[in-house]
Order: sequence, then C-alpha cells, then structure tokens
Amino acid sequence: MIRFQNVNKHYGDFHVLKDINLTIEKGEVVVIIGPSGSGKSTLLRCINRLETISDGLLEVNEVEINSKKTDINDLRKNIGMVFQHFYLYPHKTVLQNIMLAPMKVLGKSEEEAKKTALYYLEKVGIPDKANAFPSQLSGGQQQRVAIARGLAMSPGIMLFDEPTSALDPEMIGEVLDVMKALAREGMTMVVVTHEMGFAREVADRVIFIDKGQILEDANPAEFFSEPKEERAKLFLSRIFNH
Amino acid sequence: MLDFTILTENIGMFIEGFKNTLIVSLLALIGSFILGTLIAVFRIAPIKPLNWIGTMYVEFFRNIPLLIILFFIFVGLPVLGVRFSGFQAGTIALTIYTAAFIAEAIRAGVLSVHKGQTEAARSSGLTYVQTMRYIILPQAIKIVIPPLGNQFLNLVKNSSVLTIVAAGELMYQGDLISSRTFVTFDVYIFIALFYLIITLPLSYGVNRLEKSLAKSN
Repeated sequence: MIRFQNVNKHYGDFHVLKDINLTIEKGEVVVIIGPSGSGKSTLLRCINRLETISDGLLEVNEVEINSKKTDINDLRKNIGMVFQHFYLYPHKTVLQNIMLAPMKVLGKSEEEAKKTALYYLEKVGIPDKANAFPSQLSGGQQQRVAIARGLAMSPGIMLFDEPTSALDPEMIGEVLDVMKALAREGMTMVVVTHEMGFAREVADRVIFIDKGQILEDANPAEFFSEPKEERAKLFLSRIFNH
Repeated sequence: MLDFTILTENIGMFIEGFKNTLIVSLLALIGSFILGTLIAVFRIAPIKPLNWIGTMYVEFFRNIPLLIILFFIFVGLPVLGVRFSGFQAGTIALTIYTAAFIAEAIRAGVLSVHKGQTEAARSSGLTYVQTMRYIILPQAIKIVIPPLGNQFLNLVKNSSVLTIVAAGELMYQGDLISSRTFVTFDVYIFIALFYLIITLPLSYGVNRLEKSLAKSN
C-alpha cells in the first residue's frame, strides 16, 4: 500500500533521509520510533507529500507520490493525518471542522456530512462537544476531534505524527484508546510516537530510525526484547530507565 | 474665539469639499482594498513570477511620495494623450498608493496564521484556493483589521494632497475660502473638524469590528 524504494531527502546540505526502503501492507500498524531529529516525522510527512523527496521512488496505492502527473489532492483524500498540535480550525466548531473536507473535497451534502461527523464523534467518545469551538476543549478532546476529522474522509491510511506528545499525561490514555480501537478494526496506520506501550501492544512492526537511516524493522516483541543494533539498545535503555 | 460667520457664509463650499473628500475616500478605499488584496495574493501565491510582480509593485509605490504618483497621472500621462480631471487623477493616485500598504497588511495577516493550519487543510485534500478561502483568510482577517483601519484613516487624510490638482475636496475648498477672505486660522480649524467627521466614525467602526471579531473566536 505504501512503498519507499531508495528514497533520499536533502535539506540543502543536510541529508535527512538516507536510502529508505520500506513497504507497508494494507491493514498493517507500523510504529516509527527514534531519537529526535532522526527524520521520523519527515519520513511520515513524505507519504502525503507535505515534504517532497529528493530522489527514489515513493508509491501509495501504486501511485507515484512525487510524479508531476499525480493529482495530489486526489491522493490525499485517501490519507488521513493527525498532527502533534492537532491543528483544528479555531474559527469553526467541532462539527464544522469534521464536515469541511467531506463537503468540499468529496462533495457530500451537508446532511450527509453531518451524519458522518456525528458518527465519528460518537466513535471517539465526545458526541456532546459537536457544537463547541476547539478552544473550549481539552488537549485530549481536541486530538480526538482531529482523529474524527481524519476518519470522516473514510481514508485507507491514517498517519499519526506524535499524536500524544503535546498532551498532558492524563489525556494520553484517551487518545491512545481511540487509536487502539482503530488498529483493531484493521486501519492501515503509520504512527510516529514515543509511546512504547502502544508500540508493544498494537504495532505489527516497529521501525527504528536514526540519523535518517532505518536501523531496525522488526515485530515489537523481538524489537523490545532483543534489539539488534547498538543504537537501538541505547535508545531503549534511556527511555525505560528514566 | 472662532469666527463662525466664515463657516456659515461659505457653507456651500465646505459642504462641497466635504462631499468630494467623502466620495474620493470611499472610491479609493474600495479600489485600494480590491487592488491591495490582489497584490497580496500575487505576493503569497506559490508562483514565482507573480511574487516578483507583487513585490515590485509594493516596493515601488510604497517608497515614492504620493505627490509624485499624483503628478505623474495628472501632468505626466497627458503627454501620452491620457487625460484625467483632478478628481479622477486624485482617486486613481490614492488607490494605487494605498493599495501597496494594504497589500502588505494583508500579506502579514495571512503569514501570521500558523502553517499547521495550511498543512491540516491541504492534507485533507482541500486545494490551495479552498484552503485560503475556508481556513486561512477567515483567520487572517481578524489580524488584519487594525492595520487595515490605519491605512483607511491615512487614506482619508492623504486625500488632502489632492488640493494640488484642484480635485475640489475639503483642503482645496479651504484654500479657496482662505485666499478669498484672508482668514486662515479659522478656516483650517473648520476644515480639520470636517475631516474628523469622517475619520472619527471610521476609527470607531474599526474598533467595534475588531472587538466583535475577537469575541467570535
């Protein structure tokens, strides 16, 4: 479903992604971990072309992401994205936040979009906040609205860029619960996170990336019990011993 | 003490000047808002040649005196066979000049909206234009209102420069009355009051608008 083949990315002299080879199948939950600045968010953002790649091949559903011929808006319909800082539209209500893209991009009627929006709000557990503005919600609630907003497009893939990193510790659980439920339903998910518990529990694969290179690509049980690379061992020991 | 007979005896000219200032200001306000928005779009759009045109426009017209633009249109263009009345030349010059400042105010407002908003909108499949229309501009307008208000106030006051081309506005009428009656002090005080009749409500309106938009967020 997603295929990186010898993908490189440079920011000027800085080589952010080095020869990335990675294939993600439909229904897989892939967690990307690594130290900050390792390129994990950049890797994720290449998938829906929020970042462009310098060379190599990157395909989603067999469509080349960086080809001039590709209608990127069409491709993005199928890829939901959740950001660290939510980025809800502050001038719109929760319901309007969720309804906008289905109406403007998919051409759904207002009635239909509203029905879908309410369905997903129910699903993320905050149907009572439909008419609130984002500023009236807690961080955890905002992030759940952001997930509902992504889901309302019925995407085949959901990307999560450190979805819990900006949350109060108390709110992390409610967001992870929504993500876990989504994973169990078979959604294809690519998740950049520092939540090792989430990785261990729901990931099909864990990708460890450092200095722009994929160092490990393993199932979570294997990765957490016996990481092969020294850098990964160091990373895990620092995370678990603080 | 102010000599009110100057006002009552020349009330027709004061009113005529007031009317013309009001019309020039209103026309230039609408014109410069439309032109300024267009130039701002040129500067922001992800198309390099448009950026260049927008930047050249702003840097040129923002950095030369209004008076030169006015003279160019009123006495320069006739050399090429294009003639305008003082009123028309004044309106055009004010529009062109003010648009440069308005473009900058709007551009700054748009750029101050967090880029995450654009990313969220674009990643959901909205086009660039849809993102601007539904997400960025509604947020930018709140930020832009105060500087835009300043530009509109400046515009009304700058219209006094048009006296030079006999546009028939307030300042021009004031000059006429004072040269005819040899009364200067009182005449210009009354002229100033007439400007305030336009600018104070404008200023008040902008403040009200700013407050009501702030509340809606």
